[in-house]
Amino acid sequence: MEAPLITADTLVALIPEILALAFIAVVLLTEVFGSRSPNLSSGLAALGALALAGSATVLLAAGFEGSFFGDGYVVDGFALLFKILVGLVAFFSVLAAARWSARTGDTGEYMSLILAVALGASLLVSGRDLFVIFVSLELATIPSYAMVAFDRRRRESSEGGMKYLLTGVVASSVLLYGLVLIYGVTGSANLSEVAAAFTADLSPAALLGLVLFLSGVAFKLSVVPFHFWTPDAYQGAPTNAAAFLSVAPKMATFALLLRVLIEGMPETAQAYTWLFALLAILSMFAGNLFALRQTNLKRMLAYSSVAHSGYILAAFAALTGPALETAVQAVIVYAVAYAVMNLGAFFVVELVGEEGKSFNGLFRTQPALAVSMAVFMAALVGIPPLSGFWGKAWVIFATAQAGAWVVVGAVIINSVLSVPYYFGVIRSMFFEEPAGVGPVKDGSGALRFSIYAMAVFTVLFAFILGPLVLLAQAIGL
Amino acid sequence: MITTVAIFIPLLGALLVALLPDERRIIQPVALGVAAVPLALVLYIYVAFGSNLDAPALSQSYTWIESLGIGYRVGLDGLGFGMFFLAAFLTLIAVIAAWDVQRNLKQYYAILFLAEVGMLGVFAAQDLILFYVFFELTLIPMYLLVGMWGDENRRPAAIKFFIYTFLGSTIMLGGFLTLGILAGTFALEELTGGGGLGRTAQILIAAPIIFGLAVKVPVVPLHSWLPDVYLSSPISTNVVLSGVLPKLGTIGILKIAIPLLPQGVEPYLPYIAAFGALNIIYGAFAAFMQTDLKALVAYSSIGTLGFILLGAASFNAMGLNGAVLQQVTHGLYSALLFILVGIIAARTGTRRIADMGGLALSMPWVGGLLALGALAAMGLPGLAVFVSEVMSLLGGFDAHPVQGTVAALGVILSAMYFLYMLARTIFGPLRRPEWQGLRDAGPAEMAAIVPPAALLLILGIFPALLVNIQRPAVELVLSVIGGG
Repeated sequence: MEAPLITADTLVALIPEILALAFIAVVLLTEVFGSRSPNLSSGLAALGALALAGSATVLLAAGFEGSFFGDGYVVDGFALLFKILVGLVAFFSVLAAARWSARTGDTGEYMSLILAVALGASLLVSGRDLFVIFVSLELATIPSYAMVAFDRRRRESSEGGMKYLLTGVVASSVLLYGLVLIYGVTGSANLSEVAAAFTADLSPAALLGLVLFLSGVAFKLSVVPFHFWTPDAYQGAPTNAAAFLSVAPKMATFALLLRVLIEGMPETAQAYTWLFALLAILSMFAGNLFALRQTNLKRMLAYSSVAHSGYILAAFAALTGPALETAVQAVIVYAVAYAVMNLGAFFVVELVGEEGKSFNGLFRTQPALAVSMAVFMAALVGIPPLSGFWGKAWVIFATAQAGAWVVVGAVIINSVLSVPYYFGVIRSMFFEEPAGVGPVKDGSGALRFSIYAMAVFTVLFAFILGPLVLLAQAIGL
Repeated sequence: MITTVAIFIPLLGALLVALLPDERRIIQPVALGVAAVPLALVLYIYVAFGSNLDAPALSQSYTWIESLGIGYRVGLDGLGFGMFFLAAFLTLIAVIAAWDVQRNLKQYYAILFLAEVGMLGVFAAQDLILFYVFFELTLIPMYLLVGMWGDENRRPAAIKFFIYTFLGSTIMLGGFLTLGILAGTFALEELTGGGGLGRTAQILIAAPIIFGLAVKVPVVPLHSWLPDVYLSSPISTNVVLSGVLPKLGTIGILKIAIPLLPQGVEPYLPYIAAFGALNIIYGAFAAFMQTDLKALVAYSSIGTLGFILLGAASFNAMGLNGAVLQQVTHGLYSALLFILVGIIAARTGTRRIADMGGLALSMPWVGGLLALGALAAMGLPGLAVFVSEVMSLLGGFDAHPVQGTVAALGVILSAMYFLYMLARTIFGPLRRPEWQGLRDAGPAEMAAIVPPAALLLILGIFPALLVNIQRPAVELVLSVIGGG
């Protein structure tokens, strides 16, 4: 019965994380002992992110599966898929951050923070034990405080970092409290044993634990009413940090939430689907309505991320019965779709500037950049055949299958509600005259590469969709 | 395969044009060449497969998402063929008529071709999701065409157009997705007849679909985006905007709402017919009130779209054939009139009807074709619109006598305002002496106005050229809805 805690398989299962950790060390050490060359540090970090994604891909292709550390850490297709995604997001974020971080003079430190968040996110999606989950979540969160506050030349950066830190710590405590209550009620931290205790009829303590856990997660996902840190943190953060943080950790947190709910509380679905429906509707409306008023693009994209968290959360309202499979697909499809369009939009902001008026007449000065940004904005609205459309379509599929017609209606109304602010950007770029000098061109090769790569993924998403859905079906959960 | 090639050639054309230097003498011939390819393919299809649109060479079916039954399915049928042709034809005309696009011509053409992909695709799509994708593919290009090259009022017009039609199509999408999810497939062929859904479900699903399509048409009172957009657009954009885009809505009613949800649409028929009649009457009265020549044409265009609704709501062979044909004839006459209005406005410097007079004296071709277009629009026998309007009216009258009677009144009204317009603009003495020397239509302008005028004549005399193609498809629809 007593198997050794660490076997050869355990090491294989941890290859992606070990590689990421190794690259973090190498990046930091070259900074200390070697030359302080920004290009070298960024290059190594990019390699590290690729190593994470690549090794996860190999494991997925080889069909590697198993659970480790007393069933507290699981490697399955679902986890591997999200590890790949996190690695790829980190890769493009490193490329996009290269130019900016070189100017701070601390490239190595910044790059290692990105990798550390990716490492935490990568562990998180494998967690099957409440405390593994908590520790991984913190590993993904703590470096992100530093990323937000990294721009020491701007006051808003420290301010945003501080706000993010304070609210984040409160959120973590709430989350931990919830986990402890769940542990107390069920007597186990393992999800499969939690499932046995979480039946349709919840005790008050269990319900409180569930609500606190969900509140903590909602904080991390910037879901209304726990979203208020988001605009300040994103506006203060370096743009590329906001890009990365709005995607990678959130993706992993959604994956974690899926695992906890499906593996740990399948019979409690009645208790939480309506709660998700409510949170989703609130987030969509609040995010879109607040975004309408913004002139700063980072702030606008922050509220937009609140709204998009709402769209993804809408799929959670369908996590029951026959719709479950489609709902899991919807989360995966939406997460990938959102990753490409949102990273792209933030990257363009990184290059062009965060004030709305810096986009005036961009189509005249830099047509390729303007067309890319138009693609991202249209995708965020949900115009077909761009990526965001497929995400929303899958969310509607799932919620329609579950018969959650109110949620379907809310998704549709919100798509229209979001048109004015996304299209405000398109209008400035295409219909206005150029304001002055265009964005700085030098040294932005890697950033531009990331932008165009995201634009291509966003436009051709329909071709990724088929394989992605097949994969989602094959890995199940 | 041929159909797919025809749909996506303009996409390659858009890329090609975007890469060329921005000089009119290089860009325009290339754009003409690009626009000619889909048209040539459509004509080839007409000649080679006219009696057999089901031929496997024309259709393609490739399942994309197995579990949900989504696929890339295209093919031509009698309902869409006429408009497939017209979309290719009017894009070519729009390329020719782009003389008032003063700057960034290559970007103009690139965006126009992008819109053409969507327009052609809608009329060939045989899958609900694909239909929606093509439907929306026209949206951003049209928004940009109006917003970048329109007149001083273009920006509010463009965003208004976008929000209205996007709202409509998103609601429609809700209906599509629900239908597909409940039926387990998105293939039009398998969904025909209701996809196994009961009457109540069909009625509930038909409502958002019809509403969304009605915004696109637009059906009065959902039309308030239209005048602003039409008035602000450059001529060449008007050609596709009035000639093709409303038909995205009507083809949805004819090809999707009716055959897919026959029992669901049925209770709405009297209302669809009533709104059709309302469109006709409202369009006629509103056109009467206009002092601006372009606005008059715009409202007249709203009016004659009503015949498509009336014919579609008849559920009989006469009315449906009329509706399908009216899509094409409406496009021909409205494109012709918008181009002519553009030429007149450019020459005289005004669009005010009251300021004009006697223009036929100095511009016989422009004046003559304006008369031809107006006579066609009011339904003069011998011209194409007459055939389709009469068929829609007779079919509609048979099924809905009251609505049909009201619609017939609209025909009289439209004759009145068009004759009044002609009398004030091209006939009578010349208003201003300096208009004596106005140049008549030049070669490029003739190339844009003569083909649609000629088609109006040809189809007026030989409507069978198109009716024969659409008849089998209409009969298929009739067999689904059980009418006769």
